[in-house]
Amino acid sequence: MLELRHISKSFPGVRALDDVSVAFAPGEIHALVGENGAGKSTLMKIICGIYQADAGEVFLDGRQVRARDYRQSLSMGIDIVHQEIQIVRENTVAESIMLDKLVTYGPTGIINWRAVNERAKVYMDMVGLDVPPTALMKGLSPAQKRLTQIARALAANARVILLDEPTSTLTEHEAKTLFGILGDLKKTGVVLVLVSHKFEEVFAVCDHVTVLRDGRHVGTRRTSELARQELIHMMIGRECKEDHLGRVNFDPHREVLRVEHLTRHGKIEDASFSLREGEILGFYGLVGAGRTEMARVLIGEDRKSFGSVIVRGEPARIRSISDSLYRYRIGYLTENRKEEGLLLKDTVRANLTITVWPRMVNKFTRWINQRQEDRTAHEMVESLEIRTPGLAQIVENLSGGNQQKVSLAKWLAADCDVLIIDEPTVGVDVGAKEQIHRLIRRLAERDRKSIILISSDMPEIVRLANRILVFRDRRIVGEVDDVDNPDRTYDEISMAIGEHLQ
Amino acid sequence: MSTSQSNLERRVLIPGRTWGLIIAAAVLYGLIAMRSDTFLKPYTIFTISRQVEQFVLIALAQAVCLVVGGMNLSVGGIGSVTTVALGLCADTWHMPMWQAVLVAIAVGLACGLLNGLLIVKLKIDSFIVTISTMFIFMGLRSGISRGSPYAVPDSFTIIGQGGLGWNLTADGSKIIPYVFLIMLVVLAAVIYMYRSTVFGRRMLATGGNEDAARLSGIRTDRMILGANVLSGFFAALAAVLYASELGSAAPETGDAWLLISFAVAIIGGTGLTGGVISGVGILMGGIIYTLIGHGLVEIGAPSYYMKVFFGLLILLTIAIDRGREIYGQRKRQTPETSAEPVEPAEPTQ
Repeated sequence: MLELRHISKSFPGVRALDDVSVAFAPGEIHALVGENGAGKSTLMKIICGIYQADAGEVFLDGRQVRARDYRQSLSMGIDIVHQEIQIVRENTVAESIMLDKLVTYGPTGIINWRAVNERAKVYMDMVGLDVPPTALMKGLSPAQKRLTQIARALAANARVILLDEPTSTLTEHEAKTLFGILGDLKKTGVVLVLVSHKFEEVFAVCDHVTVLRDGRHVGTRRTSELARQELIHMMIGRECKEDHLGRVNFDPHREVLRVEHLTRHGKIEDASFSLREGEILGFYGLVGAGRTEMARVLIGEDRKSFGSVIVRGEPARIRSISDSLYRYRIGYLTENRKEEGLLLKDTVRANLTITVWPRMVNKFTRWINQRQEDRTAHEMVESLEIRTPGLAQIVENLSGGNQQKVSLAKWLAADCDVLIIDEPTVGVDVGAKEQIHRLIRRLAERDRKSIILISSDMPEIVRLANRILVFRDRRIVGEVDDVDNPDRTYDEISMAIGEHLQ
Repeated sequence: MSTSQSNLERRVLIPGRTWGLIIAAAVLYGLIAMRSDTFLKPYTIFTISRQVEQFVLIALAQAVCLVVGGMNLSVGGIGSVTTVALGLCADTWHMPMWQAVLVAIAVGLACGLLNGLLIVKLKIDSFIVTISTMFIFMGLRSGISRGSPYAVPDSFTIIGQGGLGWNLTADGSKIIPYVFLIMLVVLAAVIYMYRSTVFGRRMLATGGNEDAARLSGIRTDRMILGANVLSGFFAALAAVLYASELGSAAPETGDAWLLISFAVAIIGGTGLTGGVISGVGILMGGIIYTLIGHGLVEIGAPSYYMKVFFGLLILLTIAIDRGREIYGQRKRQTPETSAEPVEPAEPTQ
C-alpha cells in the first residue's frame, strides 16, 4: 500500500500540487489522470524522489519513506518507467535489466555474464519479453523496450511501479499486450500506478482512477462505477460548462494556405487540408500521431518526401524556417518552449525581437536601431500582458505562462499571416492558459491571422477551433466541422479516432 | 523598485564581471609597478601593449567560435600556416608586401572556411574538426617551411615596431604601438558587431540555443560558418602583425596560441557554452594575462613551470564564475519561493 498524505509542491509562479492525499492499493492498476499541467508528473516525481515535496508525507506499507533522490526510492522498492524510453542503445537486454545487480565472480569485479543472462531471463519471462537476453537494446521495438524497463523494475524488487504514459509510443496491438502483462503482474501484489491520457486504457485496464485538476485532488473512483462523461467532467471541471469563447467568423473563400498530399515517410502520410483567413484550425491527436511532424515538414524544418504546399494560390518552396518566416510569413510556435522556443539565458528583449532584427537595420551603418527594438519589445510586452520587470530580464526567470507569451510574441512581432501553435498551454497555470486562449482567439478575430492549433488537450481545441482535423497513426483520419455543441464535438472526435480502430 | 526596473531595461556595455576584471588589472599593475623600477618605463609599456594586442586577437579567434557554441583548436595552426604563406610570398616569391599580406589573410579565411564547412556540412563536432585541422595546418607549416624563418622587408616592420610617442618621453621613444591601435579598432568593431548588427546578434542567439535560434528563422549553419571564417581572419591578422613585430615570418608562430586563446577568452568572460561575449572583458583578459606573466617573472617564479600557473588561472576563473552562478541562482530563488503575496494579519480586536 502506497499512501500519500497532504502533498504540496510549488514552483516559481505555479502551485503544482496542493494538499493531495491518495492511497494506491497493491494488486491493482491505479490510473492517474488530468489535463496537461494538472500535476500528474510532479506527483510521480515526488513519489520516486526526483522532486522533494514542500509539505506532506509518503507512506509505503505503513512506514514513512523520505526518498532524497531516485536511487534512494529505488532501494525502497519504488521505481518509475518514464514516458521517454531511456536506454543505453549498445547494451544487451540482460545488461539493461540487471544493471544494478550485475553478478560477478566473487570479489573480482569480473562479470559473470552467464549468471546475469540467466537471472535476467527470469524477469523477462515475467513480463513476457520473448527475445534472447543477449539481444542489443537498439534492435528492440518500442514495446519491447518498455517491457525491458518493467522487467528492470521487477529485478530491482520494486513493490511500486509508476508508469508514465507507457503506451504513448506503442501501437494498439503492442499496448494490448503490455496491458495483458500488467494484468498478470498486478496479481503478484505490486502497486501499479499508470499516468494516462487515454480513456480507453483507463476504463479497460484500471481498477481505480484518481483525477487531478490544477494541482488538486478532485477524486478517486472505481472505474467500474464511473461513466466516461463523468470522468471528463471531473478532469475539466467548471471550464467545460463555461464553454467555448464563441466562434470567429472567417471568409471561407479566402484561402491562405493549402497543403496537398504532404508526406514524409514514417512521420506523416498524405496530408491534405486548407486554411482560410481568420480561421482557427485544430489538429487533434496524441503525441506521435503526425501533427507536429506535419508542421515541421510544412515549415521546412524536416524534408518532405513529396506533396505540395500552396501559399495564397502560389506553390511554395519552403526549405528552411528562414524561408517560411521571411518569404511566406508562416510562423511555428514549438511545443518544446524551453528546448526549442526560447533563448532561456538571454533577455526578454532579444527573445521578442529575434525574428525582426533585419527589419530594424539602419540603411547606412547596418546597425540595428536599438530604440526601435526597445519600442517593438515594449509593444509586445504590453499587448500580450507579459509580466516582466523589464526588457533586460532573463527569460529563464519568468513563469511558464509568461515564457510562453514571449515565445508566441516573436511571431506576432514578425507579423506572420499563418501561425502554427503547438501545445500552447502545456505547463502553464490556469490563469495564463485562459489568457493564452483569449489571445489566440483575438489574433484570429481582430488581426485576421490564420491559425493552426495543435493540441492533445481536447477541451482546449474544442473551445477554440472552427474546425478540427483528427490525426492518428500519421494520417488525418477525420474532420469535425460542427463545433457548436461541445458534447457532440467530443463524441465526434472520439468517433473519428474510434472508427479508424476497426 | 524603480531602480531595479531601470536596470532591467538598460543595455550594459560593461557588465559587473568586467568591472571586476578592470579592478583586478589595475591592482595587478599597481603591485608590479611598486616592485619594479623599470615597469613604468615607456619601453616596457610599449612591449606590454604589443603582447596585449597579440593576446586579444588570438583570444578573439577563439571567442567568436565559443560564441556560436563551438570551439577552434586550430587557431595556432591557422596562425602558423598564415605566417608561412606570408613568408613564402614575400621571401621566396618576392611579391610586393601588401600582396603578401592579402594572400596571408586569404589563407587564414580559407582555413576558417574549411573548418566551418566541415562542421556544418558534414555535421562533425567542432572539437573533432579543429583538432584534426590543427595537426593538418601544423604539419603543412613544418613541411613547407622546414622550420626556418622567412625574411620580410624592413619597411614592413614599421607597423609592428612603430608607435606613437606623443613627445612625452625625453628620448622620443614610443609608448603606444600602432598594432595596439589596430587591435583597438578591431575590438571596437567586434563589440559593435555583437551589440548592433543582425549577424552578430544572430551568432549570439545561435550559441544561446541553436535549436531555438533555427526555429526562430535563423540559418544557424551560416552563423557557425561565419564565425569560423571570422576566427580564421583574427588568427591570420594576429600572425601577420606578429611577423611585422618580429621582423621575420617565424614558422613557430602559433605554437603557444591554444593556451593563450582559451585563457584570455575565458578570463574575459566568454561563455564556454556559447551566447556570451564581452569585448571589453577580452581586452581586460589580455591585460591580466600579460601582467600575470610579467608579475611571475618579477617575483622570480621558475620559468619552466610557467604553464602550470596559466592552467591554474583558467581553472580558478571558471571556479569563480561557477560560484557566482550558483550564488546568483540562490539569490533569485529566495524571493520567488515566497512569491505569493503575504496577507497582512488581521488586527485582533
